[in-house]
Parts: sequence; structure tokens; C-alpha cells
Amino acid sequence: MSYYEVDSILTDAQKLPCTFELDVPGLGILEGNPGENIKAGTRIDLPLWLGEMLSIGARLGTSRLVTLDIPSALSERVMNALKADPRTVDLRALAPNYYRLSERVLELFEEEEMVDTLSNTFKKRAAEIADHAHNPKGALGDGVEFLRGLDETERQLFRVAHDSAKETRIWAGEAKKR
Amino acid sequence: MAFPLQRGITPPEISFLAEMEMVTIVPRQRLEGLELLGGPVEPLVPPRRTTVPLWLASLLKRQRRANILPPPWLHPESLSLILDIETQHQDYQHAFSPPPPLPGQPRLRDRGRKPNARPRYTPEGQRYYPTPPFLPQNVAQDQSFDNGEPPTLPFHWLEVGTMLLDVASDDVVDPDQTRRLLKELREVRSAKIRSGVDVLDVAAVAGGGVALTGVGAMEIGEGRGFIGGVVDGLRRIGASKEQARREQLAAAANGEYDATQDYDDDMEF
Repeated sequence: MSYYEVDSILTDAQKLPCTFELDVPGLGILEGNPGENIKAGTRIDLPLWLGEMLSIGARLGTSRLVTLDIPSALSERVMNALKADPRTVDLRALAPNYYRLSERVLELFEEEEMVDTLSNTFKKRAAEIADHAHNPKGALGDGVEFLRGLDETERQLFRVAHDSAKETRIWAGEAKKR
Repeated sequence: MAFPLQRGITPPEISFLAEMEMVTIVPRQRLEGLELLGGPVEPLVPPRRTTVPLWLASLLKRQRRANILPPPWLHPESLSLILDIETQHQDYQHAFSPPPPLPGQPRLRDRGRKPNARPRYTPEGQRYYPTPPFLPQNVAQDQSFDNGEPPTLPFHWLEVGTMLLDVASDDVVDPDQTRRLLKELREVRSAKIRSGVDVLDVAAVAGGGVALTGVGAMEIGEGRGFIGGVVDGLRRIGASKEQARREQLAAAANGEYDATQDYDDDMEF
């Protein structure tokens, strides 16, 4: 993950539900009313980078400012859907950088089962992606629904698989160049 | 992306490397020996067979100065046998047909025997065991595969096969049939690579690995980006679990062993 990587910057901006543990004077701007105070117990969606920073205050000896929650994209409901059939879930609608987001969230929460579910999902979908990449059915064939629901990581995977298959076909003389 | 080529090597590059494979030719004209960087080429005396690199063979063939003897595996009979192994044989439902045995490696039939490879020595006196691509796997053999050995596909099978069909289709037995079989083999095997995603999560944890025995150079080149991407994705997702596992291992090993013992099983083959 490099500093200038667009995808990781976009992942940083994903919202994470946070609950404030303390009253914070003057931070009402986050809630949409500038100048006011934030009361303890308020739930606000904060960007990942901000929520992460505020929640690890506990390590410095002070009481923590916010507690984090698992975002809705990784909620129990979504996990159950992924367990049932990974191929039918529209990951892109949940979060454009779904796997990167879950990677970051899994750093914050210890969820062994979620890791297993996500790995399994990624694997199952990768196999499907490879099939689509090798036998493209065009923009209107079946599987469009699935391909539209790919997250950014999966799109890159699709592109790589498709390009290398195409290159090989060009070399073998089965396809025309460009 | 600024750099137009993706990581790894492109198909033309792979087939360029495959041009170093040695093949057997029957020269039609005399040619003095050549001193090349890759080793000397014997003088060509018709009609004595010689082995030359594929690039030289195809050059001579194009100039009608030689005929190429196709390797024993590039024969409709051998190819359909291999195709049978790939599709019908139970042991190879999800695996690739075995590569040619290395020198000293026991044959398929007596699998229990221990390998007795004889090491060779470099001019500096260092020991090494020759492996492909430094083994002649594409030279014509007299007693081709009548010794009961099933034919095997060499590392550069797709490239050598395609190139020979390109330049020397009149030397290959039944070129149309051969071409069709090569294509079929390629499709069967690339489907296997794609369905092999299931085992890739083993490669994403420390000490794990996936056997790619019998996979050809072009197939690796084609699958490199995808397989690498999948393994990387799985590694990222499993990173937190892996971290926890390591901490556990370190805690368990503390006092008894060094932390290095985690890596012990990496070294075994």
C-alpha cells in the first residue's frame, strides 16, 4: 500500500459508525451543527482515518473518545448473504473498495469467522472472475450483473486475467492485435 | 498506469526463451561448426542428425537447408494419450499430467524408488543438478515411447509445438490433427488453472505453497497476474488472522524454542 495509491486513499474516506464516549466541546460540526457541543453517546459516521485515530486514544492512558462499530457493509446480514452464495452479492454497492475496507476493519476488530467468510468469498468470486475473463460474453451477456458488482480489487483481477488471456491469444494467432 | 506492460513476461518473450530449446534436425546442406555464446554447434553434414537450438533450426528450415525432426511428444498419438490422461485419468482430474522425469528420477511405474540423480559440476567446481530448460526435452528419440512410458509434455510444450507447426508443418505428422490436439490440451489445462483457485489460500499463509508441477512456461506466464492477484488478495484478508496465529505461536514457543522454529517446515520438500 503506497502513500499515493488512490484506492487506499478512497478506502480511508469510507465511513465507519462511531459512538462518542465523552462530551466534546465545539465538535458539533461533525454532526452538522457548527459551534455546538457533541454529547456523549452520540452516534456519527466518521471517515475511517478519523475514527481510527480517535478510538486508539485509549492506548495513551486517557479514556477513549469514541468506540467503533462494524460498518454496515460487513454486518451480520451481509456475512450471512456471503455465506449463502458469494456470487450474488453486489459488493460494489456495499463499498467500492470492499476488500480493502474489510482488511482495515479486520485490523481493528478481531473477527476470525469474518476472515474465513471473506477469504471464501474472495476465492469463489475469483474463480468466477477468471471464467468471465477468459470467455468474455460482451457487455450484454449473462454475468453482467455479477461483473457490475465487482469491487475495485476484483476489477483489477478481472483486468489482469483478461489482458493476459488476450495477450496469449494474440501470440497464438487466434486473435487480432488491438 | 504509466508502464504499459503488466508485471511478469509477455507471451512473445516466453516464446523467445523457448527458442533456446534444442531440437533435432536433418541438414540438407553442409555447414561448418559455429561457435556461439550458448555453446558450439556441431558441423552440419547431411544426412547426419544433429541437435541445434530451435531458433537456428527454424532459420535453416525457412531457408530450406534442413528438415526438423519433431520431438516424440509432438505426435497426434502421444498428444491424444496425454489428453486422455488429463481428462480421463482419475489421479489427474485436478492435476496436470506429469512432466518428463528428471535425470535420475524414478520412472512413473516404479514410483517408490529413491531418486539417484548424478550431480554435475560447473567449470568453477560447484555442484548442480540440471533441470529444464537446460535439459534436452525436445530432441527426437529413436526408441520414442515404446518402452511403456506414457509420453509427457515438456516445460515449453506450447511454444515449441506452436512454433514447429508454424515453420515446419510439413515435417510434423498430421499437422492439422496435431494443431487441434494442442489447442484442446491448452483449453483443458487452462480450465484446470482457473479452477485451481480453490487451493490458493494455502499459498497465502506462511510456510504454505502450491505445487505447479507439470505446468508449462506459457501457462505460468498467462496465469501469473491472476494467480498472484488472488494470493495477494487472500493474504491481505487473512493478514489479521495470520498476525494472531503468529503471536500465538510465539507465545507457545517462548522459552522452549527460538522464534525461528516457525519456519522449520518451509525447508522440507
